[in-house]
Amino acid sequence: MLEAVNISFESLNMATLTPMLVAIVGALAILTIDLFKEEMDKTLYIVLTILFLVADLSTVLGQTMGERGFFDVMLIDGLAILAQIVLLIGSIIFIPLAFSSQRFHEYRYPEFFALFLFMTAGFQFMVATDNLILIFVGLETASLALYTLIVLHNKDKSFEAAIKYFTMGALAAGFFAFSGMIFYGLTGSVELFKIFEVLEARNFEPMILILTASVFMLASFGFKMAIVPFHTWGPDVYEGSSAALAGYISIVPKVAAFVVIMRIFEGLIASGIVWIEYIFYAIVVLTMTLANIWALVQKDVKRMLAYSSISHAGFVMAAIMIGTTQANSAIFVYWILFSFTNLGAFAMLWVSHKKDSNYHERFDHPFEKFSGMVKMSPLSAVLMGLFMLTLAGIPPFSIFWGKLYLVSSAVNAGYLVLAVIMVLNSAIAAYYYAKLIVYMFMKEPETGVDGSVYMMNASISLKVMLGIAAFFTALSIFIVNPVLELSDFFIYSSGF
Amino acid sequence: MDYILSLLVFFPAVAGLFGFLIQRDAMRSYAITIAIIELIFSLALWANFDASNPFMQFTEHASIVPAFGINYLLGVDGISLFLIVLTTFMSLVGIISINPNTKDLKELLIALLFLEMTMVGVFVALDAILFYVFWELSLVPMLYIIGVWGAENRIYAAIKFFLYTFAGSLIMLVGMLVMAYFYFQATGVWTFSLLDWHMLQLPFDYQLWLFVAFFLGFAIKVPMFPFHTWLPYAHGQAPTVGSVILAAILLKMGTYGFVRYSLPLFPDASVYFLTPIAILSIIMIIYTAMVAFAQKDIKQLVAYSSISHMGVVVIGTFALNPEGITGSIFLMISHGIVSGALFLLVGVIYERRHTKKIAEFGGLASVMPRFALIFGIMMMASMGLPLTIGFVGEFLSLLGIYKVSELFAILSGTAVVVGVVYMLYAYKNAFFGEVTNEKNRGLKDLNGREYTTLIPLTLLVVFLGIYPKPILEPVDNSVKAMVSLMHQKALTEEAREVIPEIKSEEVK
Repeated sequence: MLEAVNISFESLNMATLTPMLVAIVGALAILTIDLFKEEMDKTLYIVLTILFLVADLSTVLGQTMGERGFFDVMLIDGLAILAQIVLLIGSIIFIPLAFSSQRFHEYRYPEFFALFLFMTAGFQFMVATDNLILIFVGLETASLALYTLIVLHNKDKSFEAAIKYFTMGALAAGFFAFSGMIFYGLTGSVELFKIFEVLEARNFEPMILILTASVFMLASFGFKMAIVPFHTWGPDVYEGSSAALAGYISIVPKVAAFVVIMRIFEGLIASGIVWIEYIFYAIVVLTMTLANIWALVQKDVKRMLAYSSISHAGFVMAAIMIGTTQANSAIFVYWILFSFTNLGAFAMLWVSHKKDSNYHERFDHPFEKFSGMVKMSPLSAVLMGLFMLTLAGIPPFSIFWGKLYLVSSAVNAGYLVLAVIMVLNSAIAAYYYAKLIVYMFMKEPETGVDGSVYMMNASISLKVMLGIAAFFTALSIFIVNPVLELSDFFIYSSGF
Repeated sequence: MDYILSLLVFFPAVAGLFGFLIQRDAMRSYAITIAIIELIFSLALWANFDASNPFMQFTEHASIVPAFGINYLLGVDGISLFLIVLTTFMSLVGIISINPNTKDLKELLIALLFLEMTMVGVFVALDAILFYVFWELSLVPMLYIIGVWGAENRIYAAIKFFLYTFAGSLIMLVGMLVMAYFYFQATGVWTFSLLDWHMLQLPFDYQLWLFVAFFLGFAIKVPMFPFHTWLPYAHGQAPTVGSVILAAILLKMGTYGFVRYSLPLFPDASVYFLTPIAILSIIMIIYTAMVAFAQKDIKQLVAYSSISHMGVVVIGTFALNPEGITGSIFLMISHGIVSGALFLLVGVIYERRHTKKIAEFGGLASVMPRFALIFGIMMMASMGLPLTIGFVGEFLSLLGIYKVSELFAILSGTAVVVGVVYMLYAYKNAFFGEVTNEKNRGLKDLNGREYTTLIPLTLLVVFLGIYPKPILEPVDNSVKAMVSLMHQKALTEEAREVIPEIKSEEVK
């Protein structure tokens, strides 16, 4: 007869799970409210979502480092805590964009907010574990929620975007499963630390299998993060999603993906299988360079920003490849500073979004839309100009400091050529950001356009969000040091 | 006087921010007032400057990013002092010179005030990253000025200017990061402070690479041949005030960078690259002078002549002896005044005739005698006529390079000769002879606004040409201190020979 398995509750160490549980409970609460009383205004759900996320964040801050829990599946190290902080702050600053003055289809559904919270929980699971299966579960929870969020926008383009994203995502999931299977077959474990223990013990043989597994893993996350050559869906999805969600996609999911890649590839790159590093190197350079070159020829600002975020992701991938503590810390410094600016840029597009009609028959945000913007709406032109300059890496605005630290980590680790490639890419990128500035400040307005179009969708809360983004972007010089020390502290203490 | 440098840097920017509150019609008076106050600050700095102390004065220090060694570190010595005064002075002149009828005058003035902050910042920053911040930030207002108030092809010119200098300085940024890393390896401390870096003796092959990285950033700004192609476009399209600031100050940031960074940080590499740089400079001097001769547009002529003279500045700097470096710094000042004045003069005639073609003019001297007189003086100064400001710097620079190589000195001396040719030729065509074009007959001579800008410049040209000592002495002191540092730091025999030893009593 089978014996009953006794597990004490303490051994589960539920504290490690609390943050995700808060998000999930929040999602369920929102659904329950909808059951009792239908057709409530979106503001209720927005505020509830923010509150649940804040509660989530506070439990994350209360976590202690170096804990494991739930049958040792959960892993709370400095990396997990830092990543969750970034994820949650990212989510908290993006969800208020739903306070748009125009009414949009997706925000009428409480499910939108429930899905948003489920998605956040999914990302949190991804970063707070080193178990391949839980990573997979987190990844799929988040992705499926995200596909739905995109399609809720309810336009032809959104359907196209969601289906495209879904198909690519399914392929990526397949790759992930395949790669995990090979690792399991090689080592008999799905725990990353055990996998590396076994691999190291046998000196990373057979190499061909490890290489195959790594390539599948890389391709899987390449699809998730839209890294060249797996990026083709990216700009279409950005275009199909609402600008608010596109901004979110460009920031938050990538943080989760970075962390997982860091966990998996740190050991693989250090394994001495040079091919993995070569492949990584090639992908990093291609991502930065090609995305930049494609961005040069875009006619739509949103698509341009999509390619630009691909290129920025390439920068961060470079840091993952370099793999020193400084580089890993630089990833977070860069990404935290980047998210404020990108939030601002996408929010600017969002406030100029008009319901039900595109500005132009093909594009919603063509460059011409912003022609002569400074004449009609000087303040928004200055804000957008600030975000563009920052994205281009002009000091002393936020991204410059991230770039500085990141390039410095490349230099310190001896990747001089890579450092030069990175800065040359910044120079290429400056062109397309400057292009928008040229349109806004130096061209004459198109006839028949008045300034109202740029603030079409604005509300007080949106303006406040823009103000916050601009504040942190412009005065980042004062927050760089704390961000840097925080990031250094967490990364260093988790041993990456 | 403790915080005078911070005040100098941030006063125009803060005033610029407040400028948004000023009513449009009052903006010009406001900007002029601010620029005058800023000039007074810089003169006060000069008055309190101890000319006998060759080292950094009025230093200010605060940590920005202690974890990464980035500091807010400011200071002036004899080398930067006069560039600061030049900046505030030329900014004032530029602001006064703007025609009150210019469209969007308010925005233009605010942009100029921000630009003034970045320019002063570049000259007082003693932390590499801080320097870089101001250096890059200066591109933005200039991009705006050229792109909005320029001539018909302005956007192309503005973007070209922006991308060229941006790309070059990014390479320099990598150089700075590598330099900081070497410093970290040697001492275990992260710092971007230039004063600390000066103390570090780098191995020879590191110096070579770093020198190249810094060189790219500075050379594009100067602009050295073959990186000069952005400048004629920028000048050709920029509004008058843009050209004045660009020629008078922005270009000096490049040559200042050579003096402040390249020489003391990499003395051996400077000697190693002396010949190639001298050759590039000579090509730059002769080639652009010949191109200037071929120009039909008077503004392009002034632009190319300005590049040609910057060649003399560079070659004087890389003479690596006190005469050459002091001369080149003096030449930076005089080039700032003279080329600024020449662009103003071109602006004067452009405003009246809306053309810059030399062929359209002719016989202007009889219609606008005073204009012709000032133009003549400035032209002579630009050619380096003795007793004008242009002579002192050019002579010292050439003297410096003569000590290194007679051939180089003779070749760069041709700049003076060719300069005479194209300048006099253009002057003859534009000013002498009969008035051939009817449109020129009724032109008014200079007006009050133009006198206010041109007369002080003319006086300076003559005064400093006759009595350059007040500037030369402090410059020379600091330069000698720097050269003696370079000599001490030099590793190779060759460098020790080329960089002269300064006896301690000479460094006061």
